[in-house]
Amino acid sequence: MRRKSRTRTGDMSTLHVLRAGLIAGIVACLLAASAPAAAPVVEESIAPAQISIGESAQLRIKSSGSDVQPPALPVVPGLEFRVVEQLQGVEIIHGATLATTTTVVRVTPQVAGTFIIPQIAAKSQPLMLRVNPANVGGGPSVATPGISAGTGVGGGGIHMTEDGSAFVKLSADRREVYVGESVPIAIELGVRPGAVSSLNGLPALTGNDFTLNNLSRPPDRQETFIDGMPFVLLTWHTVLAPVKPGNFSLTVEVPLTVRLSTRPKREAQLEDQLGDPFMQRRFGATVKKDIKARSPPLDLAVSALPTEDQPPEFSGAVGTFKISSDISSAAAAAGDPLTLRMHVTGEGNFDRVDSTMLEHVEHWKTYPPTSSFKPSDAIGLKGEKIFEQPVVASIPGAQWLPAVTFAYFDPAARRYETVRTAPLSVTISPSAADTAPTAPKTASGIGVAGISLAALHPDRAAPGAFARSLMPLYLQPRFLALPTLLTLMLTWFRLRGRGDESFRAPLRDRRRSQAARRTLAQMEDAARAGDNARFFALARRTLQETLAVRWQMTPEQVTTEELDARLDRDEDGEEIRRLFALADEAEYAGQGLTGTDLSRWTHIVHRGTLERAP
Amino acid sequence: MKRRMQRVAWALTLLGCLAGTHAGAASAQTRYSAAALYNLGNAYAREGKPGMAVVNYERARLLAPDDPDIEANLELVRRSVGVPIEASSRLERAFGTASPTVASWIGVMGLALVAAALISGRLRAPHRWAHRAALILGIAAIGVPVGNGVTLWPRLHEAIVIAGAAPVRVSPAPMGDALFTLKEAEAVRITGEHEGFFLVRTLPGRVGWVWHADLVPVVPRN
Repeated sequence: MRRKSRTRTGDMSTLHVLRAGLIAGIVACLLAASAPAAAPVVEESIAPAQISIGESAQLRIKSSGSDVQPPALPVVPGLEFRVVEQLQGVEIIHGATLATTTTVVRVTPQVAGTFIIPQIAAKSQPLMLRVNPANVGGGPSVATPGISAGTGVGGGGIHMTEDGSAFVKLSADRREVYVGESVPIAIELGVRPGAVSSLNGLPALTGNDFTLNNLSRPPDRQETFIDGMPFVLLTWHTVLAPVKPGNFSLTVEVPLTVRLSTRPKREAQLEDQLGDPFMQRRFGATVKKDIKARSPPLDLAVSALPTEDQPPEFSGAVGTFKISSDISSAAAAAGDPLTLRMHVTGEGNFDRVDSTMLEHVEHWKTYPPTSSFKPSDAIGLKGEKIFEQPVVASIPGAQWLPAVTFAYFDPAARRYETVRTAPLSVTISPSAADTAPTAPKTASGIGVAGISLAALHPDRAAPGAFARSLMPLYLQPRFLALPTLLTLMLTWFRLRGRGDESFRAPLRDRRRSQAARRTLAQMEDAARAGDNARFFALARRTLQETLAVRWQMTPEQVTTEELDARLDRDEDGEEIRRLFALADEAEYAGQGLTGTDLSRWTHIVHRGTLERAP
Repeated sequence: MKRRMQRVAWALTLLGCLAGTHAGAASAQTRYSAAALYNLGNAYAREGKPGMAVVNYERARLLAPDDPDIEANLELVRRSVGVPIEASSRLERAFGTASPTVASWIGVMGLALVAAALISGRLRAPHRWAHRAALILGIAAIGVPVGNGVTLWPRLHEAIVIAGAAPVRVSPAPMGDALFTLKEAEAVRITGEHEGFFLVRTLPGRVGWVWHADLVPVVPRN
């Protein structure tokens, strides 16, 4: 019984196993037949082929057929693969319609190096991805875990805008600098294509404590991904220089215009995850808004330049420099301008590199120098500044231009340095004006300058008279003293004559004589008119004036009594007395007199006034 | 009357002494001779330096304006190097025939004549027409140096280019941009000076700065 039983049990087990295997096989065949088969991969690509740590590349796997399952992702140590989206499409190849599905995979490197991604399609080649170390200056930590668009401050020094469309980052090599020292900085602006409409200006530092150069140069452009979202990264490399000491927090602002989606936030985020935001925002409902993207603050400690051991030649240059000098010509004529050049090469703040070069050099006339700068890098940190100073030698002979001294502060060594050029030797010949003529250079009729020597009038044998100056005599001060003295003397004579009787008398006599002539003419007119009263009145008045001058009294004081007292009893005296009497008679009695009488009296008055002028 | 005559005599004596001192001083410090300058100009012309030749001819012409040899050689040199020659006006020819020295003394004599006429008129000279004639003659004599000076004034501020090609710059600096170039022996008028540069005006009226070593003023600047 036990054996039979055992045998039955063993038979039953074998049968159950066979049955189960059969059922499982049938079920498996049925499942395999009903399940969709994985579509063949026709194309795969990765872009960009070279990235940096913190960035992502995009692997696109195109498969034939629609609604296919994602292909099996490769496994590469150091790389992380993550499916981002699937895109459906239709292609027409040789007239045949082919449905395709493109799977977008984000590839994020964990370490730097060159990676080989095994082929997924049977006929394709393995893909290569080169991953560089992180960017100099910190670089954009765009793929750093913890970034979340739209959350404000991101990790890794990124300050994303509220809508997650842009960020600005400011990075510097050094955090402790000196006043005037040039500090290379990088300003990075990341913008999402489609989300940022326009860049409205260049980055600007907040505050006036620093100077910023070379922002007008076009920025470096690079495309990258942040958390699976594409960004365009613009980088300005420039130099800033602090103008005063202190501790500062630097911030950079960039004015932007962004497109804000008017859809619900969840929907917009979903669209961002699934598709190209550019196309969605282009055709979706958006509004424009002007914003300013700000970078996280960058702390900078600025120290003042030391005052100890500061050379007198120091003019503010900070950096590391070398100098040399040269002259435009080692030989010149006296009076010819030469150019002394000083070359300052090195690295530092060339805006503060200045020099007065040479001043007050004996036998030389120096002029203020001019300068020009030739940068040897993109940001103007390195280069050559050339100072050009016009100098003129005043005397001929072997002359020396002394060494030029230049002082600067070396921030690396934290001390002042003074460098000097070598003195320069110049041979100065006499100027053309100082060179005396010698013998004729040609024996022919035509001289050196084409002058017909034969046509020249011959030389003079005798030197003739000599003059002290070529300036005309009448313009020489010593000669001008002569006419000046003459004029002064003439003026003196005239002024002196005003108070001197000997000078006044002739003039007075001349005036009296002229007056007497006028009166005599009037008398003749009165005689011709037969106006006796007027005739004798004029005659008496003329004699009164003449005698008044002679007797030093007024004409009114010359009366008949005065005539009796002063005039002699001769013929002339009697005539004058008689005339005075006739004048009285003519005035009061109107005595008639003939024309002959008037003629005689006219003669008497003429004799008494003009011929016997006192 | 005797006192007046004494004063006039004293004044004339003083004038004579002054004139004598002038003449003595001039003869003691002689430097320029028209003939010597003319010979020097000839030497420079033979040397092939038309600029310096013209400078010396112009200087000689200041001392002897009516010398035909100087005029001829000056024109010959200028024509040889193709330098424009400024035509002299009728007024310049009229007043330019007298040398400045002669004109100076004519002017002094005229001034003395005017003074004498005025003074003698005060002192009751017997012939009034003689006073008036002396006055007119004196004023005319004073006009001689005045006219000579007016016509000569531009030449006194002339300079001659002695460099082969003298750049005329926009500013008085050796590095200034050159506007144009002057030919050797070309005459320019100096209108200003700054830091070793002359501000010049050419005959056509162009203005610019020329380095002083490229020019020699006709009348040396002391």
